[in-house]
Amino acid sequence: CTIGSAGLLQIRHFGERIMNQSGLHARGRDMFGLCCLPGECVLQRAVLVRKKLSPKEGGGWLSGTLFCTHFRVAFVPQDSPRADDNADPVLLGDHDVALASIEKVVAVGPSRTKLVTPNSSLKFTPEELVLYCRDLQVLCFLFDRLTPDTQAVEITYTIAKTYQPLKPGTILSFQNAALGSIEMKQFLSNRRRDPGMNWFESSADWEQELERTGATGWRVSSVNDRFEMSTSLSRFNVVPQKVLDTELKKTFAHFNEGRIPRWCWRHPRGSDLLRMASFQNNIYHEKDDIRNLELILFGGQPQCVVVDLGEEMPSPADLQLAHTRLRALCLGDISSSVSVPDDKWLSTLEGTHWLDYIRCCLRKAAEVACLLRRGHLTVVLQESEDRDMNCVVSSLVQVMCDPHCRTVAGFQGLVQKEWVMAGHRFLSRINYHRDSDKEEAPIFLLFLDCVWQLWAQFPARFQLTENYLLALHDSLHLPLFSTFLANCQRERCRRSQHLPQSYTPVNGLRELPRGSAEEPVDPPYPPYPPVWDWSLQYSGQRRALFSQPVCQPCSPVPVLNGNLNTNTNMEPNWVSDGVPGSVFLLSRSSFSCPSNLLPWRSGSGSGSYRKSHRRAPSSESLPALERLIKACGQPDAPQDFHDPHQPLIPLLLGPCIRIWRNCYLRGALHAQAFTHPMSSNSRHPVERLASEVEHLRERLAQASTGRPSNRKRHEHRRLDSNLNQNANNGTFLFSSSSSSSSSSSSSSSSSSSSSSRTSQQESPCRVSGRPPTAPRYRDGGGKHTFLFGHQGEPQGSQRYAPSPSAKLPKNSGPQLN
Amino acid sequence: MLSLGGGGAKSTKPSFVSYVTPEEIKSEKEPPKKEKHPDLLPGEVIFCSADPVLKHTQDDLSQRGIFGTLLCTNFRVSFVSDETPLEEMTQHFKNKLYGENDIPLMCVDNIYGVYDEKKKLITKGMLKNKCPSKMIIHCKDLRVFQFCLTYTKEEDAKKIFQGIAHHCLEPKSLKCVFAFSYAASSSPEVQRSQRTVMFDSKEDWTQEMKRTKANLRIVTENENFEFSMRLPKFFIIPAAVTDEDISKFPGKGLPVWCWSHHSGCAMFKASTLPVPQEDGLMQGYMERMLHAVAHTHLYSLKLEDLSETLPTIQDIQQSYNKFKQFFLIDNSTDFWVSDVKWFSTLENTGWLDIIRQCLQKAVEVVECLEKENTNVLIMEEEGSDLCCVISSLVQIMLDPHFRTLTGFQGLVQKEWVAGCHAFLDRCNHLYQKDKECHSPSPVFLLFLECVWQMVQQHSPAFQFSETYLTVLSDSIHVPIFSTFLFNSAYQRESTMKAEAQHLQRGPLNCPAVWDWSVQFDCKAQELFINPLYADKLKQDKAIRKVPRAKHQRQLSLPSSAFKTPPKKGFFKDETESLKKMLRVKRISRWMASPDSPAAATREFYETWQRRPLDYHGLLLPCLDGPAMRLWMQRYLRWIPEVQILGGGPVAITSMLAELLSQVQDLRRELDMRSCWETEAESLQLRPGPLALTRTSLRLSSSFPFASNRNWTFKPAIPTSLLQSLMVTDRLASQEDETNEVISLV
Repeated sequence: CTIGSAGLLQIRHFGERIMNQSGLHARGRDMFGLCCLPGECVLQRAVLVRKKLSPKEGGGWLSGTLFCTHFRVAFVPQDSPRADDNADPVLLGDHDVALASIEKVVAVGPSRTKLVTPNSSLKFTPEELVLYCRDLQVLCFLFDRLTPDTQAVEITYTIAKTYQPLKPGTILSFQNAALGSIEMKQFLSNRRRDPGMNWFESSADWEQELERTGATGWRVSSVNDRFEMSTSLSRFNVVPQKVLDTELKKTFAHFNEGRIPRWCWRHPRGSDLLRMASFQNNIYHEKDDIRNLELILFGGQPQCVVVDLGEEMPSPADLQLAHTRLRALCLGDISSSVSVPDDKWLSTLEGTHWLDYIRCCLRKAAEVACLLRRGHLTVVLQESEDRDMNCVVSSLVQVMCDPHCRTVAGFQGLVQKEWVMAGHRFLSRINYHRDSDKEEAPIFLLFLDCVWQLWAQFPARFQLTENYLLALHDSLHLPLFSTFLANCQRERCRRSQHLPQSYTPVNGLRELPRGSAEEPVDPPYPPYPPVWDWSLQYSGQRRALFSQPVCQPCSPVPVLNGNLNTNTNMEPNWVSDGVPGSVFLLSRSSFSCPSNLLPWRSGSGSGSYRKSHRRAPSSESLPALERLIKACGQPDAPQDFHDPHQPLIPLLLGPCIRIWRNCYLRGALHAQAFTHPMSSNSRHPVERLASEVEHLRERLAQASTGRPSNRKRHEHRRLDSNLNQNANNGTFLFSSSSSSSSSSSSSSSSSSSSSSRTSQQESPCRVSGRPPTAPRYRDGGGKHTFLFGHQGEPQGSQRYAPSPSAKLPKNSGPQLN
Repeated sequence: MLSLGGGGAKSTKPSFVSYVTPEEIKSEKEPPKKEKHPDLLPGEVIFCSADPVLKHTQDDLSQRGIFGTLLCTNFRVSFVSDETPLEEMTQHFKNKLYGENDIPLMCVDNIYGVYDEKKKLITKGMLKNKCPSKMIIHCKDLRVFQFCLTYTKEEDAKKIFQGIAHHCLEPKSLKCVFAFSYAASSSPEVQRSQRTVMFDSKEDWTQEMKRTKANLRIVTENENFEFSMRLPKFFIIPAAVTDEDISKFPGKGLPVWCWSHHSGCAMFKASTLPVPQEDGLMQGYMERMLHAVAHTHLYSLKLEDLSETLPTIQDIQQSYNKFKQFFLIDNSTDFWVSDVKWFSTLENTGWLDIIRQCLQKAVEVVECLEKENTNVLIMEEEGSDLCCVISSLVQIMLDPHFRTLTGFQGLVQKEWVAGCHAFLDRCNHLYQKDKECHSPSPVFLLFLECVWQMVQQHSPAFQFSETYLTVLSDSIHVPIFSTFLFNSAYQRESTMKAEAQHLQRGPLNCPAVWDWSVQFDCKAQELFINPLYADKLKQDKAIRKVPRAKHQRQLSLPSSAFKTPPKKGFFKDETESLKKMLRVKRISRWMASPDSPAAATREFYETWQRRPLDYHGLLLPCLDGPAMRLWMQRYLRWIPEVQILGGGPVAITSMLAELLSQVQDLRRELDMRSCWETEAESLQLRPGPLALTRTSLRLSSSFPFASNRNWTFKPAIPTSLLQSLMVTDRLASQEDETNEVISLV
């Protein structure tokens, strides 16, 4: 374990310093059970506080102690198991909220409510403290009559003073509070990256993706290795093999910000998906440029469709407005008296247009997915900057078509590829520093919502769960992760040069124009971890809910070979129908082949370049393409129902696009009864069922081997208590826990379970060391089969003859509940 | 398969060009069998038939169809396809009485005729007109059928059109309802194991009284309906009501017991007295009644006149009529147009708001019973419409017994059937046009909607599933069951007796709707059970109150933000005089103002919410804006555009079924190894819908209702692109190419 006793001393030291103010001892940490991060200071605490639990957690109230530290508002339930000192620090406990994600602090008194700001003064003793968070959670704490009044007032003040809304510069101190301590820095720098996902950082990563999708004719170019060609692109880009680096270099100038067409993904049927920024029309073209550009665009395919995302898609400003309205609608705010009447709720929701924008993105992605099914073409997404909607659409297309992207690892790789490396401006769009209000737009949230819609319609075809999407949604509001704290890869690299053993900047960096002026020259940045390091944020128990226990009936083939297309029904005249080298434009759901689509075809340009060596596209193929889109979404043949590559084409009609209740409505105080709360004293039937399977299998294993199978490493699974079988609600629910421990104890379902069980059962997990950093999916396949597969274990175990002498131990151990 | 591309009714010019005349079609295949008809039920008689008729497949852009024979019997309108049904399509959920192409006559809502491309509603007077080229039938279970009559011989077409229209639109007498001929000719079956309490005997009522520990007076004198024809044979009234009082205003104003809370207070319902002429007499009577009710427990009473605070049944009818139009779709284009304004149009019908108001009212009554322990008397003009809705909802919220399948059926028997809800009038089974005295209104459906909302919100608390409710709502319009056929117990009794005499035989054997085996086989009935129902643990049975959490949770709460001043009487405190009656306004929102009664209810709700949820205790619905949802299964099941293939709730159900079957397999295996020791902790498993296992990818979200056969032409992107494609006249020429494209793609 990385935190040594020095760390502990450090904590005690801080604890002493702080808690002395309230006359507490240095051993405060032990007394109250708050497991501080190294260097974290407790500023204030209040005893005998009750936290309102969401129905998902079981409803009711949980009593415990409320803390406010430099970094978070923490709540430690009574009788919670004593934290293991050797455990890795988890940034936020199950009941905690980071100060940076708090948006509003509202104190509720006997007769009134008051919005508490750093400057305001309270004239009453609050009975209730409501924290409205940016991630749409609402936390409600209730002070007991026995809570000392001073504590209640002080902690309210402290929170209001420390959360510091919307002030530039606060982010840094926040990050320091969380990650700034020496121990924390050391801990973070020693963390291993998750090897199970593709980070798309090295050229080998891209090669791997090319291999996975079976793409041929493409290569990884390192021409932008020093960010010379384009500052916002990643270091490695995939381009056609035919294009040499020297040729490639000339192309950059023709595109906005040098964002040339780059390969993203290959459809199993052999089409390629590309993305690019808009053309720079004012640049003089040489004949070679045209040839190169066409080579890049076609990438060896006979046809190319440019999908223009500029016009129909919502602009960032639209999205921001819609999201603001949606928040106002969903976050029932007791400090404001305005509320939407119940019978106007739905039309108000419609008025936000958020759902329309979702529909729009999904539709565009579905169109592109349909186009790709045709095979033998490149589809190029074009947006003027190539940094917003291109990210949304290209990743949605892949989620729809590629089962790999519906696993946790695959999804993370997808976000790395299409967002992080592609230079989505996370920092400006999220506006952590409150310095880019005009730029702020919830593009990534829109994407997450779109994925949720897909998930809600096809829950059985995702390995990741709603809980995962929620976790990602919430993490976006924590300014702690390198993933979201930069606008492009170049910025990330610059920042990480302060770290040991990270990428050493090449001297080329010096040649670059200096970045934005407000960027501190030598910031005392703590090392920012990537968001994918989930164990930093969530306990193993909660991480286990990120993926489903029941795997899809047909688990995806790990490697798509690029030629799933059997070509049997591909008529030859179809191929010839599309004239080789035709470029079409898909805009507003219709195809055209405008003459000025590509810059060199514009009539106004230098005339000599107008006669390209390619023929003008024939207009007959247009209806064919349109029919292609029309006909998509239909399974080719009945047996295709079981084809894992059958794309998920979402239904987009009014009743089918729904609001993400568990995200947007989870906080609203008056609207908490959506999910099925779990009865606290009896386990949910599905959970019982899952443990029954577990139990029976164990018995079976015992019976067949004739000895207790205690040493067998079981992957324990638990079904989420929140089984919401109602997909109208859009919640889906099978989530599981896989505790890495060898004990087959049933992990307690949620914090609301009786803590006696919890303490018993969690201790072995904790002792067993750090939670596995490798997520489950890596070995998930095998284990799925073990527990839930149709073939495998039961049959396999039949090989053992049941020995009649094998006496079952009456008591199979305390771990069997 | 004989399917033709056909022009739709919607295009302005006739776009369908048939190059084959009906005669040619006939000559192509073997001569049609004259006696082609569905498997007739006992007592079913064919009135007329026509052949060939083209039935359009509704989900199809290209307006394709199937040829077949259209028949009209005394039970249904039936379409028998010339095509042999596909073998591979296994019907998971086949109704034994009528198939997917059959419409029970009672289920017909409206008939439209298409005359020269114009759609007209067929009314009685139009029967003499010429036969329309196309007949569109809207069903009460929201199916839409389109039959094209142009290929039929003219006299046949006319006959079938007039036949169907006559039998579906003309007012008829109760005697003509198919149930009687069915009952007359079906052999009396052996006594079925009847688990549902029917509440038609004294024992049933005493048993129910015993179960709820009520101590009231059961009236048996109405066995022959001497007191009132609007009251059941047996009913229970406060002990203090005298015999003289019972007979004073026959049945009117008499508080009839519904249910008793375990604290001792009870809920009663009553019809209001006729317009008072002699003030003294009426008032004195009413006061005596109120006193009698108040005497039941602690001398407390709250009176609630539902007609003042809830929408009228006419409102309900209007709202539902608007609401259902969204789901009766003649062609898909209409539906696409609606999608952008989906939410606001839905909301404007007010149907969801009516549901909310009913649930809200029920919560208020629950509060009186549960928190304040006062007796509640709900009143309404007839005492059998909204009274039934509210009292049943209250019982479902308070009593876990009514959340089981049999308990729920008993509840419907008790409150609705024995409680003399006027099913005949409200469902308008007889097509009476006289709206004044038989105002139709979907009150029972409203009740099912409310229950559905609760099932949605607290699914593990209910033993029955959403599918069960949907099927029950369909069964209202199947004229076989005695349950939904009569206005009162008296009418049931007298009609049955008269019919039996008429037929000169023993008592008629009219099945109740609860006899599900009449409609579905056992496998299909498995789908009625919610596999996630949280069974009450055996040891819990004795304890009625909420089991206290072991630690951490506090059930009693200190004051909170939502604390309000002592509640003003929303319900009228009726212990003194009727003159205190105030008109109380309807509440729009709980949080409107802290003094409003809504806030008080909110506090009650909050208090409830703070406790850990107990599926076997008090259960309250959430009533906020986003909480009221559309009953997708009922309303959207026939609309292919919104069916998610391989997705939706059925995907989850099938996963669950998979788990269940695994448990059962494992147990079997352990049994075989005979090393299985029965342990107390092991689960008692109900058989789940195992048929679903591993087929989820093939099922659509509207499972088990729509078959998944018609997937081939489902469009994927139903927005502007397709709309523009559809209106272009290229469509016809593209039609035949579509197949190729599909095979290409």
